[in-house]
Amino acid sequence: MRAQFRLRIRFVLALVVLVALLILIRLYFIQIVHGHNYAEKADRQFASSGSGLFDRGSIYFTRKDGTLISAATLAAGFLVAINPQTLRNPEAVYAFLPASSLVLSRDAFFAAAAKKNRVYVEVAHHLSEKEGQTLAAQNVPGVLVLRERWRYYPGASLAAQTIGIVSYGSGDTRAGQTGLEAVYDGTLSRSGDSLYKNFFAELFSNVGNLLVNAKDAREGDIVTTIEPEVQTRLANGIKKVQERYSSKESGGIIMDPATGAILAIANEPTYDGNVLQNVDSSILGNPFVEHVYEFGSIMKPLTMASALDAGVITPATTYNDTGCITVNTRQICNWDMKARGVIPMQQIIVQSLNVGASWLATELGQDKFRTYFTTLFGQKTGVDLPSETGALLGNLSKSQQIGYDTAAFGQGIAVTPVQMIRAMGAIANGGAMVQPHIVSAVRLNSGIERKLDWSQKVQVFSGTAVRETTAMMDAANDQALEGGRAKIPTMSVAAKTGTSQLTTPEGGYYTDRFFHSFVGFFPSYSPRFIILLYTNDPKGVQYASETLNAMFLDLVHFLIDYYAVPPDRGFSTSTRSG
Amino acid sequence: MHNIHYSFPYSLQSLCVGAVAVLSVTYIGLIAVVMSYAAFTVEFSQSVRNDEAVVAMLESAYLANVARITGMDYIAAGYAKPRVKAFVSAQNVTALR
Repeated sequence: MRAQFRLRIRFVLALVVLVALLILIRLYFIQIVHGHNYAEKADRQFASSGSGLFDRGSIYFTRKDGTLISAATLAAGFLVAINPQTLRNPEAVYAFLPASSLVLSRDAFFAAAAKKNRVYVEVAHHLSEKEGQTLAAQNVPGVLVLRERWRYYPGASLAAQTIGIVSYGSGDTRAGQTGLEAVYDGTLSRSGDSLYKNFFAELFSNVGNLLVNAKDAREGDIVTTIEPEVQTRLANGIKKVQERYSSKESGGIIMDPATGAILAIANEPTYDGNVLQNVDSSILGNPFVEHVYEFGSIMKPLTMASALDAGVITPATTYNDTGCITVNTRQICNWDMKARGVIPMQQIIVQSLNVGASWLATELGQDKFRTYFTTLFGQKTGVDLPSETGALLGNLSKSQQIGYDTAAFGQGIAVTPVQMIRAMGAIANGGAMVQPHIVSAVRLNSGIERKLDWSQKVQVFSGTAVRETTAMMDAANDQALEGGRAKIPTMSVAAKTGTSQLTTPEGGYYTDRFFHSFVGFFPSYSPRFIILLYTNDPKGVQYASETLNAMFLDLVHFLIDYYAVPPDRGFSTSTRSG
Repeated sequence: MHNIHYSFPYSLQSLCVGAVAVLSVTYIGLIAVVMSYAAFTVEFSQSVRNDEAVVAMLESAYLANVARITGMDYIAAGYAKPRVKAFVSAQNVTALR
């Protein structure tokens, strides 16, 4: 009995030893013999060596039906690195790298391969899934194929300056450098330990996070108000103007005047956010908040609204237009140098009369003029774009009347495009300026969508003053634009063109170089859209009506169709197309 | 009066050994669960990111198509400009909705 028991014990013991031996042998093969292969395989599956995969929240466009479309997201693929110490045939490896990826130049590649004191040099990025898998399957000695992620902009150049870019900047981590990427970097950036955290350590050291996770309350995606199809339409029009007139720069904004939500914001020159290698850094900034322009005659409706609001005129008031006047030894003339005689206020807007605008500034008086224009342009708009600059209103702090008279028709003071559309929005929005904005909400990782508050308004004009000014702009569209052919029988549109002379480096004005602008909103008395367009230094044309009319009208018709804006004028008719 | 005397059937040593055994098994089980959880988290996160990248490519194709359609020159493509534009009157507001 005892001997049988001892035999059984020995048998079990031998079995345990045998299993242990088998496990040890298996471990030896896995960890020692094939260890390197498994390590590479793991790296390919999860992360490039040395650091975790890049992670960052997304930025979304919002279609009119509420569907979110990525404006900035992450792409996944592979990078290729070489170990110069074990690389045998650099020529063959270089030839095998796909041309579609971001590969080092031939010289740089062979210089890297010659550095025998290095063990890791990245030579190609952004390989597709298929390219990476194909290359990895070759098992080329000295070549590592590692998984990577990078920032990807599906719209390429669509709203590029506004969306912004991500780069290393001065540190060793990637962060938003321009546009929304910079403004909302705190929300979009991700902590690096999200995938590789120690569960036990997290459990015991961050018990509080189980209840309230600070990261989840901070990190997320951002949702913009930009509508991708409207944005594309605007960008397309801007590009056409830029190319046709060889302008220095051109831009446009479409905004909801009641809320300040920017539906489209496009400018030229622009860049593709996915291909930044040869981009001139001077175009990475956003001209809508960083550049100031003398907008010209689109300032006249603001002068008119100011004078009406102050009660110094009524729409029935008349003045004697002499064609030219002299103020502080400087001459101010109408665009065609012609006198109109005694005419009512509406004609100042319809015929875009500089002498009339100057007359309004004089009637208003310097103090009141300064108060209105400082309220309109004296502060930054607070739009969620970085590096917003202020307006140049120096002429309004002097006592010379010429500064006020020229400001009345948009010369001598310079404002940003966002300031301009915000101020014009007051005429479209019952006299109240709204806060222009691009991001409507933040979608936190915790699942909560936090709406941003952009409800702050500044009342500048009375409802009566803006209604009367709107009627004048409405008449400008129906009577003057395209000689009256722009009139839409079933839709009221308020519009105004502007042409200003560009300044010389010496402080004077060119007589043959211009800045063209255009502003309009519709339906005139309950506007859903306000459009601001401009082109700087177009060649071969003098007036904004020649460069921007067609684009404005195309956008108006597009928006009416796209959003099915109901008619606001009661008569039905048909007209010959132009 | 009766004196009630309870006798415990297991020794203290046996209880300790049993407790250690149970805790050990629980610990090993917990490690297995945690390792599996971590592996699944990483794998799932990676798969979500890969799916997002695929969606990004589809979105890119959508935006490229929108740009292509917007930029299309219909006259060059063989279409004629409409000879007459008809406007819908305000009385037909509901027809637009």
